[in-house]
Amino acid sequence: MKTPLEPFDFNRREFLRGGSVASLAALFGMVQTGAQDAKPAEAEKAVTATNTGVIGLGTRGREAVAVLGSLSNAQVTALCDHYPSALKRAGNTAPKAKQYADYRQLLGDAEVAAVVITTPPHQHREIAEAALAAGKHVYLEVPMAGTVEDARAIAQAARIAGKVVFQPGLQERSHPQSHFLLPFVRSGGAGRTIKARTQWHRKTSWRSNSPNPEREKELNWKLYRETSQGLVGEIGIHQMDILTWFFGQRPKSVMGFGTIQQWKDDRQTADTVQCIYEYPNDVHVSQELTLTNSFDSEYSMIYGTDAAVMMRENKAWMFKESDSPLLGWEVYARKDSFYKDLGIALVANATKIVAQGKNPAEEAPYPNPPLFYALESFLFNAHELTTATKDFIENFGGDDPKALADHLATLKLLPAPKWREGFEATVVALKANEAIESGEKITFRDEWFVV
Amino acid sequence: MKTLRVLLSIAIAIAIASETSAGFAEALARYQATPASKVTVNGTSTIHDWKMEGKIIGGHFDIDSNFPLDTSAGKLPDLKVNSTAEVSIPVQSIKSGTKRMDEVMLEAMKQPEFPKITYKLTELSPRTGQHKPGDPLEFVSKGELTIAGVTKPVEMSVTMEKFEGNKLKIIGSTPIKMTHHGIKPPAPNIALGLIKVGDEVKVSFEWITAQKNEAAK
Repeated sequence: MKTPLEPFDFNRREFLRGGSVASLAALFGMVQTGAQDAKPAEAEKAVTATNTGVIGLGTRGREAVAVLGSLSNAQVTALCDHYPSALKRAGNTAPKAKQYADYRQLLGDAEVAAVVITTPPHQHREIAEAALAAGKHVYLEVPMAGTVEDARAIAQAARIAGKVVFQPGLQERSHPQSHFLLPFVRSGGAGRTIKARTQWHRKTSWRSNSPNPEREKELNWKLYRETSQGLVGEIGIHQMDILTWFFGQRPKSVMGFGTIQQWKDDRQTADTVQCIYEYPNDVHVSQELTLTNSFDSEYSMIYGTDAAVMMRENKAWMFKESDSPLLGWEVYARKDSFYKDLGIALVANATKIVAQGKNPAEEAPYPNPPLFYALESFLFNAHELTTATKDFIENFGGDDPKALADHLATLKLLPAPKWREGFEATVVALKANEAIESGEKITFRDEWFVV
Repeated sequence: MKTLRVLLSIAIAIAIASETSAGFAEALARYQATPASKVTVNGTSTIHDWKMEGKIIGGHFDIDSNFPLDTSAGKLPDLKVNSTAEVSIPVQSIKSGTKRMDEVMLEAMKQPEFPKITYKLTELSPRTGQHKPGDPLEFVSKGELTIAGVTKPVEMSVTMEKFEGNKLKIIGSTPIKMTHHGIKPPAPNIALGLIKVGDEVKVSFEWITAQKNEAAK
């Protein structure tokens, strides 16, 4: 659930982990070099690499460019931002990519097969619709849009765009760790689910500085109601989507509180948020997000009758109750102590790691950021769909759509969310933000989720 | 003047060629590739055996329209059959199920340069002797197989069986050495160490073709 570090992001856990220069710099009030400047290793490109363009080169866009560089199946061939220095900065990471100031020019570039849209959400609809209409594969950051209406329009466009992949940026849905935990939670590995809790704690202003006041306003779109869905929209959407997915059910209602506790500048969005989501079977989820205190960072907990499950970065642990049944394997599993509790490591691929003589909990099986797996899935699926369609039509013709659909159904694709998951998660997040703003409890209506 | 003469001779050559193929078309029944085919590649490595699968076999098979493709026969004609086949398989349609191995395979087979595996049938003879009625018909085939741009002769047994009226299922398999086609058996370095892939693989196919009404005329 790692999201890009922001400027001035002082994160206690990062600091404790090991007196790095960056942490020290942060301690002395300097700007920390966050994820946006950390370049993952450049990967050797496979012949299957898909030509990709990135639209919107802020923090998230630059992270996407760097991650694409580390993927063997991605080739960044185009970059787009209307702000010249943002374009130039991203161009340092992808020097061979063509640079466009207007997204329409990028969409007109026939070499670009796929686009990653990382603009602020209020600009998504226009760009995403145009990209789908131009026949590009689309990876769209979440929330899918700033309004339910815009998100629905994008979902409708994605639904009818048959020949391309549309993947909303619910990055955890492609993470191998999630696919390992999902059956564990769904099969009642922790007993019957009682409640859940998610948190995301940072100490960061969320504000970027620029000598140009107009640019500063543009950079800080997250701080103003007109352009921002607040902490629940920008951050909380990921953790809530995972819980909705694991529970296999949408929430029934949401109520929330938001206040500006520390960063009393001209901002309109809360720096501290608490929400309660009500799920079926009387399960309640509490969500805590703040920009004012970094203690305990970010994680999600699912509490069951037999155990609690903690999901943290790319790892998870189970904390068993003394009266819970013995599962067997946990006797051999690695345990980590958390103050007075003992966490049993739930590690994906544990047997493979053990076979290599490594320790499952120390050796993170998936060292890459979540965006890596999400974009890997996106471009793999885009490539599979495109080549399978082409091969089929070249050999059997295009006059039998059913036979083609049957053929495409046999493709083994990597796990990825589709427009429906993206739209539903967006509706939940936007309504949660509405609940915070209005101070009213909002009961979800089925028709809001109809596309 | 010289150019004109060359052009003229080309035109005549084309005219003759099309005349000839039109002549064949009367005698040959065309079976066109249809979806639902299967090609399987079984290989070995220093760690475990592996398998890749594709679902696209394109092309066509033409056979003497008088030849009885009838499994009820007690004996097949003891003669070479007038037939041709052009087969094509997109290299990228053959999948291992893992992204990394697919990438390694496409690289080894120089896919961007040689995107297709092709086969051309040069000779087809029914297997002599008794045929058990109901069993697929057996043939010995000779042809030319082109992988990664390198063409080699290949001889293999194939069976044929008509089904659903106009469809024909052709089944066969043959061992292939990668090095014969200039392919270096991949030795990718993965998390578990260095894997060496065995040179010889077994390619099996189940090719579904159908006689289309237009083609049959």
